[in-house]
Amino acid sequence: MKNPVTVASGTFGYGEEFDRYFDVSLLGAVTTKSISLKPRAGNKPPRLVETPAGLLNAIGLQNVGIDRFLSQKAPYLRTRNATIIANIYGHSPEEYAELARRLEAEGAADAIEANLSCPNVHDARTAKGAVLVSQSCEAITVYTQAIRDATRLPLYIKLTPNVMNIQEPALAAEAAGADGVCLINTLLGMAINPETRKPRLANIVGGLSGPAIRPVAVKMVWDAARVLRIPIIGTGGISGAASAIEFLLAGATAVSVGSMSFRRPDTALRVVEGIAEYLKRHQIADVNQLIGAMQA
Amino acid sequence: MRYIQDCEIVAHDLVAPKHWRMRLRSEDIARAAQPGQFCMVEVVETLYPFLRRPMCFSEIHDDGFTLLYKVEGEGTQLLSQRVPGQTCSIQGPLGNGFPIAPELERHVIVSGGIGVAAFPALARALAETCGRPPEVILAARTRELLLCADLFRSLGCTVHLATDDGSAGEKAYAARMLERLGPGPGTLVYACGPMIMMSTTAAVAARAGASCLVSLEAQMACGDGACLGCVVESKVEHEGEKMVRVCVDGPVFDAALIDWEAHNTAYDL
Ligand SMILES: Cc1cc2nc3c(=O)[nH]c(=O)nc-3n(C[C@H](O)[C@H](O)[C@H](O)COP(=O)(O)OP(=O)(O)OC[C@H]3O[C@@H](n4cnc5c(N)ncnc54)[C@H](O)[C@@H]3O)c2cc1C
Ligand SMILES: Cc1cc2nc3c(=O)[nH]c(=O)nc-3n(C[C@H](O)[C@H](O)[C@H](O)COP(=O)(O)O)c2cc1C
Ligand code: FES
Repeated sequence: MKNPVTVASGTFGYGEEFDRYFDVSLLGAVTTKSISLKPRAGNKPPRLVETPAGLLNAIGLQNVGIDRFLSQKAPYLRTRNATIIANIYGHSPEEYAELARRLEAEGAADAIEANLSCPNVHDARTAKGAVLVSQSCEAITVYTQAIRDATRLPLYIKLTPNVMNIQEPALAAEAAGADGVCLINTLLGMAINPETRKPRLANIVGGLSGPAIRPVAVKMVWDAARVLRIPIIGTGGISGAASAIEFLLAGATAVSVGSMSFRRPDTALRVVEGIAEYLKRHQIADVNQLIGAMQA
Repeated sequence: MRYIQDCEIVAHDLVAPKHWRMRLRSEDIARAAQPGQFCMVEVVETLYPFLRRPMCFSEIHDDGFTLLYKVEGEGTQLLSQRVPGQTCSIQGPLGNGFPIAPELERHVIVSGGIGVAAFPALARALAETCGRPPEVILAARTRELLLCADLFRSLGCTVHLATDDGSAGEKAYAARMLERLGPGPGTLVYACGPMIMMSTTAAVAARAGASCLVSLEAQMACGDGACLGCVVESKVEHEGEKMVRVCVDGPVFDAALIDWEAHNTAYDL
């Protein structure tokens, strides 16, 4: 990556939605919406609710499926000279492996990010009582190994923050061969309309994102960074360079801008520029000197 | 072309209880905007409220555009406190506007409540390009909420007023008024307003063999097709998808495409 800034899966479409606002090749990478083997229609609306300094979503992984990703979306991103992190989602370790294999074979990704942490889909095949794959260390191990065996591309595992201790799933991913982890996916949440007594999301529960979750995400990155040897992509409520640098100081190697792209599609580019300006102002030669450099 | 611009607020007036008209300056956005398209308005510079608010271009001028909005909740309340001279960040133009089809013999605008915001720019475009100006059914809860009637009249439109409480015009619903105007196969109906008004209007138009376009609302995060938050269920697949995005596939849709039953239960916004 030419700089440590990407965009978070599901908040930047397939890159083409926002590329009219700025040149996406200026980002370290474009991370795509989660892609599955078959196209998915996603959940019924309403799928969004705005909440204080953030939003709840229950999109349900609507996506075009791998075939259309390979034939249309990835080639388009290539014409824009973007580095591609393909985020994938499957119903089984085999499906994840298949997705990774096809992406690598077609040259449609520079790295894989496996979403083991979407709160908005309900699958039978998750491990013992866990709702999300990444709530179970055993499941993380099985899924990560399967994908690892299928591809030589850099492999990032995206973890859920809805756990007791983030260090355990992060270590499980590392031990199973991940090249890095992405922290955090959304926090589970819900909202009810007091007038109608109805849930505000058709799915009832959803994932909370935006500046509201930033302190939680920074803490999780800090926790994970103290035990991991592999890099962390920090995500959660980044709204500009200052908050991106918070994540680096907590121990992230790179950051991804999520919901803030909804507020301003060019936020990620502003973060790239803002970090450069910060390094100059603090006379720091290499951005890597910031990683884990919080002074407690 | 799409822009994110800090636009100067040129005028900002209360036009009815809780209803405001805001004129903003931007030659770029004005040049690119089409009737029926919308923009995303940043109501405050801080991050709470977090999301921009979708608003349609009510009027499009040479040097800018006018928004017409109703104070619903926190976001529009904060917007209403902005004063001329300040700037407001606008992202747009977004979405598909109304197609202008001068070959059709009759154009009828059906407006309910603040849905009227979608129509002054359209009425002007139709008046300028079509043989005869559109007819307008202007419906609202009560007399003081019947907005833009004089503006429509100044464009040569025949305006039919209706209120729920009978305080002005007919005491009738908009769809019933449309029925009485006798639309036919050569008629194009444009509807914007509460969901129930649009679905009943669409049904009247369909029975009469008229075409009907509706401008839909949905909760939006990005306005640009990226978040997949604003979908509605369509009866036919659009580019292989059953869920269509109001922001990029709409907000103007052929009423016949919309699964109204699914939509009514999902959105009583
Ligand atoms: C394409 C489009 C064009 C629109 N044009 C206009 C217009 O010209 N004039 C006008 O008065 N209103 C318009 N609306 C509706 C307007 O966006 C909402 O009234 C406004 O977002 C309410 O924000 P709030 O913070 O005051 O209300 P709150 O209820 O506090 O808002 C909470 C959240 O729900 C969303 N929301 C609430 N009501 C609606 C709604 N009806 N549609 C979409 N999102 C909603 C808000 O954006 C916000 O994120 C339009 C909506 C769409 C989708
Ligand atoms: C509307 C929406 C859709 C999302 N879709 C996905 C997805 O498809 N796959 C995924 O791994 N994460 C998805 N996420 C989670 C984000 O990638 C990110 O982890 C999370 O939103 C926290 O970052 P933020 O606070 O900066 O938005 C989605 C988030 C939002 C708001
Ligand atoms: S508002 Fe984001 S896809 Fe329509």
